[in-house]
Order: sequence, then C-alpha cells, then structure tokens
Amino acid sequence: MKKWPTAALCPLFVFLLSIQAYAQSFDLRILHVNDLHGFAEAYKPLGSREPLGGVAYLAGRVNALRRGQPTLVLAAGDMIQGNNWANMSQGESVIEAMNAMQFDVMVLGNHEFDFGQAVLKKRISEAAFPVLCANVEGLDRVKPFIIKEWSGVRVGIIGVVTEETPVATHPRNVSGLTFLPVAETVEKSVRDLKNRADMIIVLSHIGHAADRALAETVKGIDVIVGGHSHTRIPRPVRVGDTLIVQAWEHGKALGVLDLTIRDGRVVGYDGRLEAIKPQPGSEDPKILAIVERQRQRVDRILNDRIGEAMIDLDGENVRKRETNLGNFIADIMRQVSKADAALINGGTIRTNISRGEVRIKDVYSVLPFDNYIVAITLTGKAIAEALEHGVSGIEEGEGRFPQVSGLTFAYAPSAPKGSRIGEILIAGKPLDPGREYSVATNDFLAVGGDGYRSFAEAVKSSKTFSVVGGTLQGEKVVYSDSGRWLRDVVVEYIREKETIAPGSEGRIVERP
Amino acid sequence: MEVYVNDKPVHLLPGMTVKHALTHAGLIEKLGSGKKVYDEWANELGLDGALSEGAKIFVR
Repeated sequence: MKKWPTAALCPLFVFLLSIQAYAQSFDLRILHVNDLHGFAEAYKPLGSREPLGGVAYLAGRVNALRRGQPTLVLAAGDMIQGNNWANMSQGESVIEAMNAMQFDVMVLGNHEFDFGQAVLKKRISEAAFPVLCANVEGLDRVKPFIIKEWSGVRVGIIGVVTEETPVATHPRNVSGLTFLPVAETVEKSVRDLKNRADMIIVLSHIGHAADRALAETVKGIDVIVGGHSHTRIPRPVRVGDTLIVQAWEHGKALGVLDLTIRDGRVVGYDGRLEAIKPQPGSEDPKILAIVERQRQRVDRILNDRIGEAMIDLDGENVRKRETNLGNFIADIMRQVSKADAALINGGTIRTNISRGEVRIKDVYSVLPFDNYIVAITLTGKAIAEALEHGVSGIEEGEGRFPQVSGLTFAYAPSAPKGSRIGEILIAGKPLDPGREYSVATNDFLAVGGDGYRSFAEAVKSSKTFSVVGGTLQGEKVVYSDSGRWLRDVVVEYIREKETIAPGSEGRIVERP
Repeated sequence: MEVYVNDKPVHLLPGMTVKHALTHAGLIEKLGSGKKVYDEWANELGLDGALSEGAKIFVR
C-alpha cells in the first residue's frame, strides 16, 4: 500500500481541522469583574438593605458557570487597591485570591499604580495569569495582548488603561512611564492581530463613555469588557458591531456574556449581570479560607505598634476648639504637600489617641474616612471666608470647625455668624486678602464638603492639569494624591518619628 | 474637569469620582434614602466610579 509522506499529510490535516473549526459554531462564555478594589468581604452599600459581594461567593458562582464549557475569566482593572483587606498587603492578598480563582487575564487599572512601580512589578510577577496594558510604555512584564485558542478558534485580548492615569495617581507612581492614546493603540493592536485572531476582545479600564467612543472609532472590536466608571450594565450594549459590558464594582456583580462564534464572527450573544450575595453554601471554601487568613493578617497589621504618644491626643473637642490632634494632622498635611497652610474640618477626626503605644488601628479609628490630601491655591480673602464658614456652626457642634496649620486666627463665638473672624496670620504675618497662598485640605473639602465653597470655587477656576516637575498641577491645584489615604500618610509619619507629643499652641484664639 | 449632576455643572479635580460630584452638588445624603446615581444611558453607577469631562450623571 502506498503511503502518504507524513510531512505532506501534516499541512493537509491542519487545513482540514481549521475548515472544520470554521464550519462549526463555537460557544464561548466570558465571566468578568472590574473595580474590585480589594473588597473581599461582602458589605452593605449605602442605601442597600442587604450585603452584597464577597469574593468567596463570587468565586463559587464563577466555578459553577465555567464548568463544562470554554470560558474566559477576565478582570478589567482596579483590583488590588482600595479596601484595607487589599491595602494592608499592597494588593498581594488580591493576587492570591485571583490566582486561586484561576483568572485568565487582567488589565491594569489606574489604581494598580497606587503602591508604586516596584510593588506593581512584584504583584505582576506573583500573578499566575497574564497582565495586559497595551498603551503603557516602560513597564516590564505587561503584555499588549494575548491570544487564547479553543478548537482552532483564536481570541485576541487587548488591554488598555485610561490615559488620565498620570493625573489620577501620584506622579511618582508613573514616573518614567508613557501612557499612549487608547484609540490609536487599540487600532494598532487590532492590525497586529488581524491574521492571528478570529475575534477581538478589548479588556478596558477607560470608563463606559470612553468604551462607547472606542467602539465608534475603532473597527474590528467584537467585545469591550470595561471598567473604571463602576457602571452597572445589566445587559450588553451594542455600539456598531461591538458589544460593551461592565460589571459594576467591588465584586457586587459578576458579568456573564455568552457568545456564539462562527467563521470568526460573533453570530449570537446573551449577557447578564448576576448579583453576588453572601448566601451560606454558595461560597468557594478555598477562597473563603484565603479571605479569612488575609483578614487575620490585616487584624495583626492593624495591631502593629507604630510609635508612642507622649501625651493624650484630643480628638473629642475638634468641633469647638484647637486641639493637639487637629494640629498634628493638619501639620502633616501641610508638610507632605509643602503648602503654606492647612485647613481641615474637625469632623474628619473621629476619636482620641491615648497616651502610650500607638497602633495602626488607633490612627484608622481617628481617620476612618477614605480621604486624601489636596492642596489648592486660595486668595487671602478666600481663606478668610473659609475660616468664617468654619466657625459659623460652633453652637451646633458642626463638623466644619477648622483645625489648622501654618496659620493662626482669632474669633469671637458670640459675634453674629459671618463676622466672627478677627486677625489672621500666615507664617506670622497678617493675611493679605489679595495674595495667593497654597492651602492643604482633604478631597472632601476640596469639592465643597461641609459647605467649604472657597475650595470648590478655586477648583472651578483651575481648568487644565498637567504633571510638572513630578507633581500634578493646575492653575489652582498644587498637590493631589488620590492613591494614598490621609490615615496612611499619618501612619507613615508616626512610624518615622517614633514618638509624638503635639501641643495646642494658640493657633485658634477665642475672643469674647 | 466639568461634569453635570442633574444638569447642573460641577467642577472636579482629575481622579475625582461620582462621590465627589455628589458632595459638590449637596446630593450625597440622598443616597441613604434610596435614591441611586445613573449615567446618561440610565446605567447605575458606583460612588467610586471615575468621571470624564462632560459626563452627565443623575440622582433619582
């Protein structure tokens, strides 16, 4: 019998296989999450009557839905930073859980940069899955895209992050990196994948509005799995030939997108969001064990001694007078931001720190809110208005009472509201109403929280922003670090100083 | 950046989120009483959701 040479048979075999693959339809399931922000445990969101989320319960659902069929499990960015459960290990706990959940691929979100590049590279090296980011140059170990293949069907997955990352995290975290325009980058990647992939998924961390614009601009994208805007898209959105999905935030929902692919085209789809609830019995025990173990680790870290207070720090009277704790925190804010002065609302400070050992949990109890430092240029007149507003609710014990650094002021609580403030000194000199000063505050006041309109007005007039000399700057903004909570800045400061003994120095003088 | 909350302009710093826009607009407390935040396509938004220039969000 005459035999075909093996070498001749191989190409024919591959050809026949590929014909068969193209002739048959292929079902692919995509499971997706975005913006987990380290929320490993279920919680009750504002306005919700029941707890939602919990990665052990998310994992249980992923396990059930991926069973017995080709499935991609995708993470659309901002996974490792946010909640204490993640922050205490700088995202290591999240990567451990994601490895155990067998994620297929993840794209970097802007908050993945918040712990700095050295930590990010370590997290990427720990990930058992590829990490994508096509539009960042200068970061080792990330890939622009990957290709996954099932039965001869090749799926190209391109990752992109928001171009605004350099102004949305501290500039030191992105030093030396170049963020390329998203649309041009995706267009190029689609071209690169033209003969190598049958369908294209963009794993994006650019926000839903930008996803829609991308779908309109760049042809050849079959699916965009999005993140960044924390958008709850109950059913896939179709823009041109592109499907767009996004699964809310914090693991409160799992995105499910079922695709039918034929001849390299998506010929059918069905998608939904599944609410994740902590129902006993639905969890993945392996992931639950990781969550518990890491939570115990967080508890241990919160108990870490970071220094010693030589005196009691008063967080109780911050709504009615200057206190040493208010001074201490305002001083740190001024020092970190290199501002002329600092002003925070007393309501930010929630409790005392007793004399003796200071632990991380003590600082977290004092500053429980997720606030960060912002420094804004204000005129002397605007500072005076801010202080006037700050002392206008003292009778009611309102949280807007100011705690300050770099300035002193006198006020008369018995005077009518709006005319209580007397002499104001900055750096020992009388405040000049027409001069501009940089003033550190927190992001809450910067947008007019507690009625502080002076900051909000300054932000309004600061229209453009750029990174100059390693710092985010606008016309009126001299500092903004949205990736580091104020409480963590204070923890670092105490750890560095080891002993603290701030005093009340007559910064706020009450006059009859 | 300028965004719109219930059709009123609000100015925020880069990196600020839905939470900041609602604080600026004095609407953050409304969420405790069952109201939710939506984008211009009627999708619900999380409070930490990123906003982009010209974004329109609604509390209802």
